[in-house]
Amino acid sequence: MTNQTHRNDVVIIGLGNLLLSDEGIGVHLIRRLSEHQDKFPLVDFIDAGTGGMNVLHLIANRKKAVIIDCAKMGKKPGTIKQFEPSDVQTTKTLTHFSLHEADILQIINLSKRLGECPDQIVIFGIEPESLELDQNLSKTLSDKIDLYMNAVCKSLS
Amino acid sequence: MHNNLDINVHHITRVEGHGNIVVNIKNGKIEKLQWQVPEAPRFFEAMVRGHSYQDIQTIVSRICGICSITHSLAATKAVEAALGIKVSEQADKLRILMHYSEQLQSHTLHVGYLAAPDFFGTPSVVPLVARAADAVKTIVKAHRIANNWSDLIAGRTTHPVTLIPGGLTRIPTEKQLRQLQQTLKDAVPDLKKIAEVVLSVAGNIPKFERPTEYVSLKQTTPPTYTFYHGGVTSNDNKGAALPIEKWHDVANEYMVEQSTAKWTKWHRDAYAVGALARFNNNADLLSPMAKDAAKMFGLQKGCCNPYMNTVAQLVECFHIVETSIDLIDQLLTRGLRPEKVVSSPKAGKGAGCVEAPRGILFHEYEFDKNGKCVAADICIPTNQNHANIQKDFEKLLPEILDQSEKDIRLKLEMLVRAYDPCISCSTHFLDVHFVR
Repeated sequence: MTNQTHRNDVVIIGLGNLLLSDEGIGVHLIRRLSEHQDKFPLVDFIDAGTGGMNVLHLIANRKKAVIIDCAKMGKKPGTIKQFEPSDVQTTKTLTHFSLHEADILQIINLSKRLGECPDQIVIFGIEPESLELDQNLSKTLSDKIDLYMNAVCKSLS
Repeated sequence: MHNNLDINVHHITRVEGHGNIVVNIKNGKIEKLQWQVPEAPRFFEAMVRGHSYQDIQTIVSRICGICSITHSLAATKAVEAALGIKVSEQADKLRILMHYSEQLQSHTLHVGYLAAPDFFGTPSVVPLVARAADAVKTIVKAHRIANNWSDLIAGRTTHPVTLIPGGLTRIPTEKQLRQLQQTLKDAVPDLKKIAEVVLSVAGNIPKFERPTEYVSLKQTTPPTYTFYHGGVTSNDNKGAALPIEKWHDVANEYMVEQSTAKWTKWHRDAYAVGALARFNNNADLLSPMAKDAAKMFGLQKGCCNPYMNTVAQLVECFHIVETSIDLIDQLLTRGLRPEKVVSSPKAGKGAGCVEAPRGILFHEYEFDKNGKCVAADICIPTNQNHANIQKDFEKLLPEILDQSEKDIRLKLEMLVRAYDPCISCSTHFLDVHFVR
């Protein structure tokens, strides 16, 4: 979240851990997208990292939220899929032991129950190749950055 | 009493670390009782080796999404100790203010989103909205205030960007601080409301005690309920505090078969860190409202019920807000001054320590003459609690064996949750299948 007084109706959020290779794809992409922020003056660009539950506040009472995240979808590494929360079911098992567990779909569900969820939520899932300790993306994903950028920008137009 | 009982709270995914609870009872005899942490080792050293002293705090801020400010502060303090860099009084106060914001973020999140469902008997916070909508909304509001507060001082809600060795890259304006102060004053009634709600279900907090060594920071000059400055103490250390650079003598890390995370021990075979540890070592120094909150719950110094850690966190929320209001007064009275931060590389080794919301955190780094990192060591609070959770299990289980399997399982799970562990913070990716 940037320290801003004005909040736009549309937000685009990049999620992920920059220390774990393709896990950080959402953050890598939001950094690249932020370079073109002037083309989208009515959109807030946010690198949310592994902030997890903070997404609840970032999307609250907006009209539209676009979320980019690394996603295990059973697809070929590097595949990007655009979907809505209702298109998928989480296969994640949460222990509820720790605040550090985060499931974005559960957060969206909480946002709905609180009556502050955006009408439109678009998720871009990108299938990882590597989740190893590395501050760089795998070649498979880094070669496709322009493709991802185009797909995400289209959703903002 | 169960003659035969198998409990296996087992969650292992490929990358995410989880804790497992394993109970095997045969013919009335406890054959196996373990708190297992099969987390993939985190190679902290590899993350920072070869990087400049100026970049360490930014890299380690990505270790964790809940304690990112805390990791950055511990790293920055360690770098400053290694390179002999001094920090102004103004920057020091602003950093403490930044640190408080994360404590409030994490504590409200833990009390409201993780512990409250246990007290209300719901599986998670999502269905709790139907049971106690007002309470959840008040928690969300408090959490949101803490997030905006981090945003103001740290430049972002998570993964701060204003911290650098020697000071801060940006300071808030006096107007922004005044607004923050008013927001915090306005938040006090909400905190009281949250405390009352928790008190109304506090009867569901299990009554269990085990004499424990509690380890935390302790600050004597001036005497402060500290999260940031001071040395390391415990209730077994006769009031004395060890300098931070002696942290290895406190942690005494060792390996055990049941866990990939290292365990720790100091005077006894285990110790606890976290809000209850801080409370037990420093309760006399809490703010007046925090002392009132502790009284409300009957929380007294010397409490050795680990389930009360959640209550200690709630007490600390009052201290954090009240102390921050005062801290902002101090900053405004002196007037904010722009600062130019200058530092230069040199060889050195140093340790830094702060209290994470879930307990004491140690960072240590060594740099070559060009300021490149050649060695790193990080000891996180959750690892320091693992042995203590195991010891709690060993005393607790025989005391609750006459209860139903469901209740036994819940009490063991609640115990783990009470420690507010960070056992899977490194990754969070979506794991989904398509339904249409």
